Amino acid sequence: MVDLTKRFGEVAAVDGLTLAIEENRFFALIGPSGCGKTTTLRMIGGFEDPTSGTIRLHGEDVTGTKPYKRPVNTVFQSYALFPHLSIFENVAFGLRRQGIGEDLDRQVNEMLDLVQLSHAAKRRPRQLSGGQQQRVALARALVNHPKVLLLDEPLGALDLKLRKEMQIELKRIQQEVGVTFVHVTHDQEEAMTMADTIAVMNKGRIERIGEPAEIYEDPRTAFVAGFLGASNLMEGQVSGKDSLVLQGGHVVRVGHGALAGRTGKVSIGVRPEKIYLSHVGADREQGNRLEGVLTDRSFIGVSTHYLVKTETAGELAVVVQNIGAERFTVGQSVAVTWSPSHSFVVGE
Amino acid sequence: MPYLLLAPGLVWLTVFYVLPMFRLVMTSLQEGSLEQGYRFTGNVESYVSVFTTYLPQLRNSLFFALGATVIGLIVSYPLAYAISFHTGRWKSLFLLLLLVPLLVPFLLRTLAWRVILADQGMVVTFLKTVGMLPDEGGRLLSTGWAVLAGLVYNYLAFMTLPIYVSLDKIEPSLLEAASDLYATPWTVFRKVTFPLSLPGVISGTLLTFIPAAGDYVNVELLGNRTWTMMGNVIQSKFLVIIDYPAAAAISFTLMAIVVTLVVVYVRRIGTEELLT
Repeated sequence: MVDLTKRFGEVAAVDGLTLAIEENRFFALIGPSGCGKTTTLRMIGGFEDPTSGTIRLHGEDVTGTKPYKRPVNTVFQSYALFPHLSIFENVAFGLRRQGIGEDLDRQVNEMLDLVQLSHAAKRRPRQLSGGQQQRVALARALVNHPKVLLLDEPLGALDLKLRKEMQIELKRIQQEVGVTFVHVTHDQEEAMTMADTIAVMNKGRIERIGEPAEIYEDPRTAFVAGFLGASNLMEGQVSGKDSLVLQGGHVVRVGHGALAGRTGKVSIGVRPEKIYLSHVGADREQGNRLEGVLTDRSFIGVSTHYLVKTETAGELAVVVQNIGAERFTVGQSVAVTWSPSHSFVVGE
Repeated sequence: MPYLLLAPGLVWLTVFYVLPMFRLVMTSLQEGSLEQGYRFTGNVESYVSVFTTYLPQLRNSLFFALGATVIGLIVSYPLAYAISFHTGRWKSLFLLLLLVPLLVPFLLRTLAWRVILADQGMVVTFLKTVGMLPDEGGRLLSTGWAVLAGLVYNYLAFMTLPIYVSLDKIEPSLLEAASDLYATPWTVFRKVTFPLSLPGVISGTLLTFIPAAGDYVNVELLGNRTWTMMGNVIQSKFLVIIDYPAAAAISFTLMAIVVTLVVVYVRRIGTEELLT
């Protein structure tokens, strides 16, 4: 995609987007609602015409090509199964349109096997559960061996448990068929579970693109840091090669070269699970240390979430795994420590 | 006890359907005249007359009803399609325009067609100019065509509205999905849009065929004697000749024939679509 723009009236839903998606990858496009991710997907599918820019598929310009002529298939958010056709005919729909006759039965049955729905071939869509309908929608698209499979929040309508199962299932299927998947979602956890590459979109542009771990550990912008999980952001003034002074005068250090020669005002962030909580007296000289008062505690099950109010860095979220370590109570004075290499620097 | 909950419905059904129907059948088996009074004798003579004397009228009724249904469908489908998919924010206005004529009484609407199809009217003049009607004696009023036009017009809204509703209910994503799966616009219509609009087509055709088969106003105002329908026979037997048994027998026969045709039709087109 080169310099893709889509305007609805005055508003640019997608604004000068340039993006290369590698073949046979599981690519996730994430962002808050209204960030333009679905519009981008619809332009790849051919359902929206870009206002400007081009879309190329394996080097071939498909910008103005009608959806029914693109080697791209879509799994719709609402599944969009044909209610008047059986599951078998739903899956066979694309093959029939392409005039595949003799081999059709085998291909459809093979695909129904892949999504474990061979027993439901004769049923109608409304006789299936949400998860099953979702798998039919997937089979209906995949049976055509598209060059790219587009998935528009396909798991949005499923409950949490089923969604987790389908995430693993989708990843398995993607690895099995080796088709490029472009997955749109607002669920960062879902994207990180499945995708090889994640692009975070905001206001019609891509803010950050990379492998899940890479962009989680180094989000580079405050928006990406906030969107991909929780993070504590602190503002300060660069004071040395790898250190800065927080507003209250406290010096904190960051990893080697993380500041990349920046000067003046910068923000750094730390993920809540990378912060250690200890009693004020306890001497634990490990990297950066701030003191504060515990203001909130919530027990989640696998972990306990704390909020610590510090004088220099505002309120910090801290996640502590429940491995039998000491509990802290609200109102108590505590110290928070973290390793300099766990801080990331955030630009504007 | 649960059956007791059915009582209000059953009473309603009995009072408004079963009793009148029973009355109709009983009347049809009576004998006599207005002066001497009618007595129940189990006489089936009236039924015989339907098939001996009134066969042409029965044929006219079914022929006109079928014609009005087919032409109505051809006119209504594109209309409903256009309103549903291509009117955008003007949709309500178009629906309103479709319904406004219904505010004018049936009789007046039909009378208006007398003016439209009049011998010196615009339509006839135009058809004569383009040579579709002979210059000498060519006319539309008092012909079968006028009756057909009147029937199509009078039941147009009843055909268009159900089709519109079922078209409008179709999720746009289904049409996108079809085109995503390599269906050309025409195939999308054939394989998705049309099958999904079938419930509306069935309702629309029934709402046209059934009343059109019993219609008598259009023949009365727009047609002539050769095109008399069953409705006209029933009307004159009831109100002019005052032969109740014959009127009842003809009514009942017409009803039975229409119901049979409807049942066969709905079975053929597929009841499953009606249920969706």
